[in-house]
Amino acid sequence: MERTAVGPPDGVIVQAVLSGDVEQYAVLVRRYQDRYARYATRMLGSVDAAEDAVQDALVRAYDQLARCRDPDNFAGWFFLILRNRCFAERRRDQRFAALDGVPDVPAEENTEASLERAERGKGIERALQDLTPEQREVFVLKHMEELSYEEIAGRVGTTVAALKMRMHRAYDRLRELLEEMR
Amino acid sequence: MSREFHPLVKQLLDGERTLYSLPPELQAEAQEAVRLLGAMDRRDVTFSSGLEARVMQEVRQHSTARRVRANTDPVLWRWLTAPSVPPWVVGAVSAASVIALILVRPGPTNDPEAIAQATAVAPESVFVKFILFAPAAKQVTLAGTFNRWEPGTTPLVRVSDEGVWTVTLGLPVGQHQYAFVVDGQRWVVDPAAPTVDDGFGRKNSVVSVSLEQGRVM
Repeated sequence: MERTAVGPPDGVIVQAVLSGDVEQYAVLVRRYQDRYARYATRMLGSVDAAEDAVQDALVRAYDQLARCRDPDNFAGWFFLILRNRCFAERRRDQRFAALDGVPDVPAEENTEASLERAERGKGIERALQDLTPEQREVFVLKHMEELSYEEIAGRVGTTVAALKMRMHRAYDRLRELLEEMR
Repeated sequence: MSREFHPLVKQLLDGERTLYSLPPELQAEAQEAVRLLGAMDRRDVTFSSGLEARVMQEVRQHSTARRVRANTDPVLWRWLTAPSVPPWVVGAVSAASVIALILVRPGPTNDPEAIAQATAVAPESVFVKFILFAPAAKQVTLAGTFNRWEPGTTPLVRVSDEGVWTVTLGLPVGQHQYAFVVDGQRWVVDPAAPTVDDGFGRKNSVVSVSLEQGRVM
């Protein structure tokens, strides 16, 4: 689900920044600060934590920009930095349980059915936080970012078979967790 | 009762099968699974409007720090050619290509001018000797936080027929990450130095420079 950037290609901007035009980095920040917002939020369970992670990842990407071996694929490289940041945070604090990333249903949608659906959605969000980071990631990328297994494998550097095994365990674990919440 | 989804239901969730292709006895389980996915919130998340400003503020600070370091470096980067730099080998190498990293503070050199310049301009600097054993290499360079990871700026010199490459740099006190770059392509960590995760799946070597007891790695 790559979006087309408007303006110069990433590789041109990366070269400009490396040549000393630091302000050009703002173009990359604007281009990517929200692209992975949903991914980071679902991985960390909180919009605030996700925003901190994206900020750190963008600064880290700047610091290591000269090591970006394919500047035209800055997005993929930046995703890996953000991914590592999310995984590190999850492993650092397994007790994480904040759910301010689960928005309330807007008032006009507060029918009984939509409320029930929203409750179920919050239950899934809570259950997602109890998966391993690897299980949660494949679930988020496939069912929220709507990537194929092949796309996910290319992005995170593993095989489709490994991803499927991870995902199928995630399905079972989610079912179990949702049963426990009832 | 098992709480695992039936394999066919998992295929349904993976998008590899339709609901109607499942046998009647799995329909209830399949509908439960579909409801699970259907309840997920897929709405976009947007961060606060101040994120860009915060990132750029940090980036500018890091950029300024880099410029200050770069302006200081020319003196620090003076080569120590005096043979009094001790040739220690910190790590042994198995069959492979890389050795060690060593260092010394400015003191051991016989060149008083080098000491005077280095200590006068940046008394917190320490000379660090990087050694790589790479017999088959045609070119070796060093990239690290001290040269903005630019692999073309800090070449090592082949000092023996056996394939030992070295370079000595004056580095400010502090922690520095680095890697060797062999023949412009292969990034190699130093097996004799600690490593850290570089944030995207590879390792960087680390050297910590301080003036405590004259030399510290």
